[in-house]
Amino acid sequence: MFIRHETIEKNAVLLAVLTVLAISVGGIVELVPLFTIETTVEKVPGVRPYSPLELAGRDVYVREGCYTCHSQQIRALKDEVERYGHYSLAAESMYDRPFQWGSKRNGPDLARVGGKYSNDWHYAHLTYPQAMVPESLMPRYAFLSTRAVDPVKVARHMRTNRAVGTPYSEEQMANVAADLAAQADPQADAEALAKRYPKAVQASGNSRVATEMDALVAYLQVLGTMVDFTNPAVENLRQ
Amino acid sequence: MSDLAIGGYTAAAPAAMRVAEDYNMEVVKKFTIAAMFWAIVAFLLGVVLALQLAFPIFNLGFEYTAFGRLRPVHTSAAVFAFGGSALFATSFYVVQRTCHARLFGGETFANFIFWGYQFFIVMAALSYVMGFSQSQEYAEPEWHLDLFLTIVWVSYAIAFMGTIFKRQEPHIYVANWFFLAFILTVAVLHLGNNVALPVSFFEAKSYSIYSGVQNALVQWWYGHNAVGFFLTAGFLGMVYYFIPKQANRPVYSYRLSVVHFWSLIFMYIWAGPHHLHYTALPDWAQTLGMVFSIILWMPSWGGMINGLMTLSGAWDKLRTDPGLRFSVTAVGFYGMSTFEGPMMSIKEVNGLAHYTDWVVGHVHSGALGWVAFISFGAIYYMVPILWRRAGLYSAKLAAWHFWIATLGIVLYITSMWVAGIMQGLMWRAYDKFGFLQYSFVESVNAMHPYYVIRMLGGVLFLTGGLIMVFNLIMTVRSAATELRPARGAAVVGA
Amino acid sequence: MHEQTGDFVVGLLVFVLGLVGLVMASGALDDGMYVFGLSLAGFAVVFDLGIVKRHFDRIDAARATAEISGGGHV
Repeated sequence: MFIRHETIEKNAVLLAVLTVLAISVGGIVELVPLFTIETTVEKVPGVRPYSPLELAGRDVYVREGCYTCHSQQIRALKDEVERYGHYSLAAESMYDRPFQWGSKRNGPDLARVGGKYSNDWHYAHLTYPQAMVPESLMPRYAFLSTRAVDPVKVARHMRTNRAVGTPYSEEQMANVAADLAAQADPQADAEALAKRYPKAVQASGNSRVATEMDALVAYLQVLGTMVDFTNPAVENLRQ
Repeated sequence: MSDLAIGGYTAAAPAAMRVAEDYNMEVVKKFTIAAMFWAIVAFLLGVVLALQLAFPIFNLGFEYTAFGRLRPVHTSAAVFAFGGSALFATSFYVVQRTCHARLFGGETFANFIFWGYQFFIVMAALSYVMGFSQSQEYAEPEWHLDLFLTIVWVSYAIAFMGTIFKRQEPHIYVANWFFLAFILTVAVLHLGNNVALPVSFFEAKSYSIYSGVQNALVQWWYGHNAVGFFLTAGFLGMVYYFIPKQANRPVYSYRLSVVHFWSLIFMYIWAGPHHLHYTALPDWAQTLGMVFSIILWMPSWGGMINGLMTLSGAWDKLRTDPGLRFSVTAVGFYGMSTFEGPMMSIKEVNGLAHYTDWVVGHVHSGALGWVAFISFGAIYYMVPILWRRAGLYSAKLAAWHFWIATLGIVLYITSMWVAGIMQGLMWRAYDKFGFLQYSFVESVNAMHPYYVIRMLGGVLFLTGGLIMVFNLIMTVRSAATELRPARGAAVVGA
Repeated sequence: MHEQTGDFVVGLLVFVLGLVGLVMASGALDDGMYVFGLSLAGFAVVFDLGIVKRHFDRIDAARATAEISGGGHV
């Protein structure tokens, strides 16, 4: 070596600097291209930011640590695709802050759970999982039905998401309370909501006020539904 | 020096105790006590979680006790509270003694580091239970806690490096290279992974600047190196000091230390992508991660060889010194885990292992067999010295601890190997008609007996920990371990 | 002397942290921030009082040893 190790051992600054250099290389080589190579996240039509109620639901999912038992990433493996659906595309989680791909499956993968079960099933299952699936290991989340979602808080959360890069439009930001109410109330007119957030699923809770349970169900019901895999038109595949 | 035999454990009154006044060992004692306290908390929480997975009724339907909220309390208690306190204790002990310099910064500064870190631990645990989490593994604390931790960590770095700067001994001892690498790298990782915008100064909620696949790789650059530097490099610092000390032998090979150090810290960083095989992470990154994870086997085993071969000519001490037994076994488990890890990083193997309990088994062979055991070895060695006792209260109890804990580990990892591989195979099984053979819930059902065995393993490990706590308390307080001044030696404390 | 400067600097910084905690708690928009802010303020108070206590303990101890080793000044 061009430096005798003895020199490094006798010089704390040199030791520290060389250490930091040594540990920086891997990070730079692996992380920087991920942000600079455009095809890392390929553009896929249909992918959109979460609606106010869905975002509130996602916040619940994150804070309850659901990812400790449920993954949200279908791998490009035959049996997995057969069990859960098309393997997950990078674009499908591009607005996920934080990503919730998960590391463990004590429960099934949820990447494409949207639309697989009815709203009612979800409400029942979240309230008392073992009633729907006797062997389930899942805790009970009945308390979510007793907590209201605060539209002011959701607006604040959306603003922060926008500040870090999620492309909420002016129109979406101006209609947070309205969209929250429309999606939470199954009787409400959802036309404007559907225009701003295609494929958003209305909740079917009992109260007129959006609860955390409504939010979580709305979030689960949109998972994996944004991208249309039945129509691989050539234009959609071009980057 | 006179030899004092206590409970079968023969200790020579350490000559260095005469200069004990010159070092700040108060902070080391505090962190040692904290480490044992959090160890019991972490092991107990582990048993609770294992109980919940075996019998979900124990989630109690209560939001504060649900598995999803308790899990980060367990992982934080094990890694940061127990592991972290042990690292603080040993790094402060080692850096002062090998530099022949008192800890830099003064007593109040050291107290701030101790109490600040304990405060962080308690607030983080409380926050998860209350429902505030970033839900990024081992980086769950929200932004305000991340900032507070940064203040404490910078203080730690200043105290540690400052002590090295004022060293009386020109060479920096090898253990300190590892501690230094651990402190600096954890700082880089923590700052890099936690870049997030708080919703408001007054809300305990933030959103990461990273999202999706980029968030995934930044998180596992962090997460794998939390293992590589917090749980490996730092604890290798313990190996390089406490094993030679306990065995009374020099480190086996200086050259191997040098090669081991630089190759380990360089290579570990690249391994992150092996947590993301077959996901939406680009293939080039997956392959790079896999290749480096496999090559990482070599520096890891270099370290293991260096540690084990240090026992050359002193293997008989394993029969008489229970603390050393823990340390050496730890290095053995380290070798096992750092062989299993690279194997699991191979894409095809990972295709089976990912998302299964095999990963949990791998984590715990490392956490219990390597991290906890080397900590126990170091603490068994340090406590009599720190509290100026003649030796451990009972070598027999320490031996019981060793065997009970080892049995616990064996139950844990074997049950998880079987469970994990079974899960992986069930998920990919096809029947003769070409359909998937098992529903997901059938695989869940199949896990039950293994989850019960795993829980028993955890109970044994916890029992061992409690035995250790009793032994250490008695070491500190019992009349039987009082130090009698050796004939001709200077009176301690004068 | 060094001790005293060290004590003062750390004590001051922790005091500032305590103030930050109070501000956070006062405007807290959720329980998490409220509990953290108050706890941080509490931590700062206890820690700084601890510094003061040890400062006077040191003076007392010095006085005691001075007396033992032959009636020094009080």
